[in-house]
Amino acid sequence: MATIMTVDDTATMRQMVSFTLHSVGHEVVQASDGQEALALAQGRKLDMVIADVNMPNMDGITLVKSLRALPEYKFIPILLLTTESQDAKRQEGKSAGATGWIVKPFNPEQLLNVVRKVLG
Amino acid sequence: MNTLSSLRLLHLDAFRSPWWLPPVLGLVCAWIWVAIFAPFWTAFGSGGLFGLCIIALLALGRKKFAKSAVLVEEQDVQQADIVQQEIEALMPLATSAEILPQVDEMVQSMASEHQKRRLEELLLHWVNVSQQYSDAALSMRKQIHTVTQQTEHAATTIANSFQAIINKATVQARQAMELLEGTQGAMTEGVPQSLKDFIRVSDERLTKMADEVVRVADLSVRMVRELDAVQKRAQAIDGFLLDVDKLADQTSLLALNADIEAARVGEQGRGFSVVAKEVRRLSKRSHEFSDSIRSHLEGVRTGLNKTYGDMRTLSAADVDHATGIKNEVLQLTQSLEGKNREVADTVSSINAISKEIAQDVQNVVISLQFHDITSQKLNGMLEPMDELRNMLFQLMQETLAFDKSLLKRLPGDDRWLARLHAVSQPVTDAAEAHQDSHPQAPRKKGTGPAVELF
Repeated sequence: MATIMTVDDTATMRQMVSFTLHSVGHEVVQASDGQEALALAQGRKLDMVIADVNMPNMDGITLVKSLRALPEYKFIPILLLTTESQDAKRQEGKSAGATGWIVKPFNPEQLLNVVRKVLG
Repeated sequence: MNTLSSLRLLHLDAFRSPWWLPPVLGLVCAWIWVAIFAPFWTAFGSGGLFGLCIIALLALGRKKFAKSAVLVEEQDVQQADIVQQEIEALMPLATSAEILPQVDEMVQSMASEHQKRRLEELLLHWVNVSQQYSDAALSMRKQIHTVTQQTEHAATTIANSFQAIINKATVQARQAMELLEGTQGAMTEGVPQSLKDFIRVSDERLTKMADEVVRVADLSVRMVRELDAVQKRAQAIDGFLLDVDKLADQTSLLALNADIEAARVGEQGRGFSVVAKEVRRLSKRSHEFSDSIRSHLEGVRTGLNKTYGDMRTLSAADVDHATGIKNEVLQLTQSLEGKNREVADTVSSINAISKEIAQDVQNVVISLQFHDITSQKLNGMLEPMDELRNMLFQLMQETLAFDKSLLKRLPGDDRWLARLHAVSQPVTDAAEAHQDSHPQAPRKKGTGPAVELF
């Protein structure tokens, strides 16, 4: 099973994502903003990242850009899980290098399907 | 000009509110109407009355203007009195051409003073409203922050509880499955390992035992039949004994005849008589022997009859018993199988419930995310509110800078300035966290415990 990092400034969201991923046996690492996520990502092997967009210190889109700049995170799937649903924001995420965009609230089954699909 | 100046001195609003105009016009019209149709003396009389009315109205008007001036401007009461005195002092000189420009100047300076005061009051009111709005916005910000933190805490607790529920449900379903597998398992070294095997083995053994009992019962029936044959043979023996008895009787009769014949022959027949006696004795002994055999045979028959009866009873009872046991065993195994099926049904029902719980928990997971969405919306409200506060503060600063003397009119200058500065400080989340360091226990901020008994 994979090691997945969930990045969200709301503890409830991190918990929901962890809970959903744990239920199928994935290992989950939690970070409360982009900066913490970037620090945690370095020095460990992650198979996937699920990040919020609006966060203090470092937002999700900057995090995607920063992670893509690192050689070991160039090709891993990065999903953005957010309340934002405007096309402009989506486009911004896509051009930053995100693999996918999930609008909150997510359906656990749907999230697991997406994770299964992107992990291959 | 003189009268006009006097009226202006009384109050500037006098001309702006011509309340007296309609009654005066009414009276003029009434008089013209009367003058056309009424006789001269009546018209003259009503004209006089009209003049008196005008005088009375003017007197009333003067009184009313003075009163309204007092009501509108409480702060001007003293000044109004002074001005009134001055006007009264000036009244005799009002006709003088030198005095008139001074009076006009005084009136104009009073009007501008009054307007300035009103503007100041308006500004003061504006600053007050801004300050109140700032306070309210600050309080609202704190409230929003507290609400967000409290709902986050509650949502986390709910999420934890549901996580525990789903974990327990999973364990429960797994244990139920294990239980079901236990009842459906195989045998180890001939010893049944499950309820199903136990039922099967018990059924086999009990059926075997019941078959044995039935076989014994069959054997008994066959023995009874054999006994019947033995009894028939005993009856045949009885018949043979009768024949023996008849033979003995005939021999005895023959012996008696021989003895009679021997006696008739005399001495020569003595030997024959001894033989005849001996034959009669033999015949008697034959009788005795056959009687003895009959009596023994009777004993045998009685014994056989008893055995026959016992065997019949026994074989019938054995068959009944064996059939009964077999039926009971059948019922027992059926009942056990029923129970086993019930266990299987219950386990599959538990599994179905576990799946439903998982589905419900999924819905909970979706619903709990609305906390995050509402929090973001609430936080989104804070930004424009802060901007508005900053704008208000700047406006207030500009307003105060516009007229420094305004500060002197504000209650408690230092406190006022301190509050203004407080309003200008941007409220950061860290500052809020410091102000509200116990969001998890909001009720501690209250006055007492959640439950209190007196």
